[in-house]
Amino acid sequence: MSKIDVRDLHFSYAKGPEVLKGLDFSLDGRSCALVGQNGAGKTTFVKLLKGLLRPSSGSILLDGRDIAGSSVPELARHVGLVFQNPNDQIFKNNVLDEVMFGPLQIGMGEGEARASALAALELVGLSGHEAVNPYDLGLSDRKMVSIAAILAMDTDVVIFDEPTIAQDHDGKERLARIVRDLSCQGKVVISILHDMDFVAQTFERVIAMAHGEVLLDADPRSVFSQRDVLERARLEQPTTAQLCHALGYEELFLSPQEFVDFYRSQHGSHA
Amino acid sequence: MKSISLFEEKHSFLNGLSPETKLLYVVVAIAFPALVGGTVPQLAIMLLSIALLAGSKILTKSKPIIAVSGFVLLTVVIVQTFFRGGAYTELFRIGPLVARREGFDYSLGIVLNVFNIIFAFCVFVLATKPSDMMQSMVRRGISPRLGYVFVSLFQIIPQMTEHTSTITDAQRSRGMQTEGSLGTRVRAFLPLISPVIMSSFTDTRERSIALEVRGFNSHERKTFLDEFVPSSADRPVRIALLALLTLGVAFFVLRIVGVVSWPR
Amino acid sequence: MAQIEVRNLKYRYPDAKRLALDDVSCQIERGEFVGVIGRNGAGKSTFTQALLGLVPNFYHGAYGGSVTIDGQNVRESSVDELCRKVGLVFQNPFNQVTGSKLTVYEEIAFGLENFGVPPKEMRRRIDAAMELLDIAQYKDRAPFDLSGGQMQRMALAGIIVMEPEVIVMDEPTSQLDPQGSEDVFRAVDVLRAQGKTIVMVEHKIEKIAAYSDRVMLLDEGRLVAMDTPRAIFSRDDLAEHGVVAPTYTQICRQLGVRSADGLYPVTLEETRSLLGAGGRGGEVR
Repeated sequence: MSKIDVRDLHFSYAKGPEVLKGLDFSLDGRSCALVGQNGAGKTTFVKLLKGLLRPSSGSILLDGRDIAGSSVPELARHVGLVFQNPNDQIFKNNVLDEVMFGPLQIGMGEGEARASALAALELVGLSGHEAVNPYDLGLSDRKMVSIAAILAMDTDVVIFDEPTIAQDHDGKERLARIVRDLSCQGKVVISILHDMDFVAQTFERVIAMAHGEVLLDADPRSVFSQRDVLERARLEQPTTAQLCHALGYEELFLSPQEFVDFYRSQHGSHA
Repeated sequence: MKSISLFEEKHSFLNGLSPETKLLYVVVAIAFPALVGGTVPQLAIMLLSIALLAGSKILTKSKPIIAVSGFVLLTVVIVQTFFRGGAYTELFRIGPLVARREGFDYSLGIVLNVFNIIFAFCVFVLATKPSDMMQSMVRRGISPRLGYVFVSLFQIIPQMTEHTSTITDAQRSRGMQTEGSLGTRVRAFLPLISPVIMSSFTDTRERSIALEVRGFNSHERKTFLDEFVPSSADRPVRIALLALLTLGVAFFVLRIVGVVSWPR
Repeated sequence: MAQIEVRNLKYRYPDAKRLALDDVSCQIERGEFVGVIGRNGAGKSTFTQALLGLVPNFYHGAYGGSVTIDGQNVRESSVDELCRKVGLVFQNPFNQVTGSKLTVYEEIAFGLENFGVPPKEMRRRIDAAMELLDIAQYKDRAPFDLSGGQMQRMALAGIIVMEPEVIVMDEPTSQLDPQGSEDVFRAVDVLRAQGKTIVMVEHKIEKIAAYSDRVMLLDEGRLVAMDTPRAIFSRDDLAEHGVVAPTYTQICRQLGVRSADGLYPVTLEETRSLLGAGGRGGEVR
């Protein structure tokens, strides 16, 4: 299983103020959601993980080796990043070529790349759309193409930047399944997200960032129980947790089902 | 700021002049020395441009432009000095290469000429706010659409460049080699151009609808958030420029008919 | 007569096989907040564009039925006339940046300049809109330098200052963090209180449930239902149409807890009072 160690990571854009002010944690097989207000430094952080930006100081170790020693294309074999805007990523004329591009670049054979691409398209629900021009698809499907393009590369680390934008309920369910699958396969899954309900029900770990620093880092239940800290970072609790709070519960539930089970146990099953 | 407009508001003498006046300055700066002939007027106007830029605290902004063109001009000087054909007077020698006075003088003329033009344009470009330019155009009855295209290019082009670099990042992230020999870079870059163009087509279409729903097609007389009012110097400056231009033309005519001649 | 009347609206994009809007009829009253929900591809964005006549006047394609705003048929009106009455905020904030303005403040002024509003009045309206949307701190920034969420609020401000009677928004908070989204909904609520009619496409179902007067549920171009949030989210067939009810509604449905009118609650407040009443004596804040 892969592991990423982030050591006292600092970053600032040329002459600008510090965007990341000393991040220090490890990422492992637990799927991890990065949450925080716009401008908290989340996207900057994942760009550093990809080597697209280089730290001002501190380091990032992938399986014990500093990624500063690898070029972006070399890192691509190990770390996949789905960009927030699919238009930044998609450049081929049909879906299959687009999804096969990454696998071919990192040295998969034609046959293997094709098989991998087809499997990835199946996962995102776009089987049968192989010959379509990605720009003829709607935004949500185009986003799925950009996700498949990274999944097909079968990297040990998979990073998503706000994957739920423009997705409807079905799309979100599908994404949740993908995240769980990847995590089960022992991959390191990291995702930037604003949808707290999705985070609470999908991820095993939550890192809340504010102003370039880690505010909270724990399992979703612990993180989302810190209502005051979240509020100060302008974050909110998942909906079910808000209900728990409003009812004055000491317990914190993250999904409707958990809440219902508890409520029934308190009020008898007839409720 | 993502704009190739190098404009910066300094509330300076030049900022106070109307765009037309500054454009007239460019015309005069180029035409006057050409009409009068000789290097002195050229040198004088170039120094005037530099003084104006310095006075408006934007001389440093012209540095990159000067640096790039300076590099090109340097090659012109070298080529002309060492390889200009025809009879020559030897200046000095480096191995088999002979530096020729005629070539050197000739290239110096070019350098002066080009620098004069560039500095004059800097006076216009660096000290004129794009939207003031648009206001002037609209006031003169030019369609706001044309004005819009002119002004928006300053930001849309850098936006496209930025988009290209994001797309490049995305492809590097998928293992594409974009660094290395020129061949590798060209091969990597070419396929990336098509999505930039593709999406800029859709962007343009969507943007034009978005402009429309904000009344861009309105037949109302437009107003401006910051109504541009030229400073009191604008009129005298314009008159002086026109006078100078007339003087230049007069001198040119007189020279043609042989009444005066420029001491060379 | 309702402010917006949509009668048997049908529309098919050029080169498309199926109808994007299929026989949609509805009425929207002045001052109403209507949430538009449905799965992707249901026709929500197309519906917003039809309210301004962009469909079919701009996109062409096959069109049937009619949309009238205050009795004026949008198909027979120019965008220039309509945009004084109906403001439209598109899904993609990036393409709403004009590119001709150096600062956010100037950018927001764009529509007002086109309408010939005097500069003093422009400043009054822009200041108010920036205050309402909490973006005053960005006023001197370059428009393209903003983040997606900031751009979304700038785009909304650019429409609000034009003071249209109807404001139509297509996923105006998709790129905003939770707090930013809440801010936008509160701002829109203020506008509604001022008498504006609001039509908003949104996936954030809890927010739609909390803020809208009525909800339109679209699927495959058809209007499945249009009713109060409580009536819509109490329906049994939501899943078939690719929509989920708010979390509160899901919980109450499973627990079989209904309001007096037999519908399930859709907001935190209502759910709390229903569940808290028979609660276990825990303090209810």
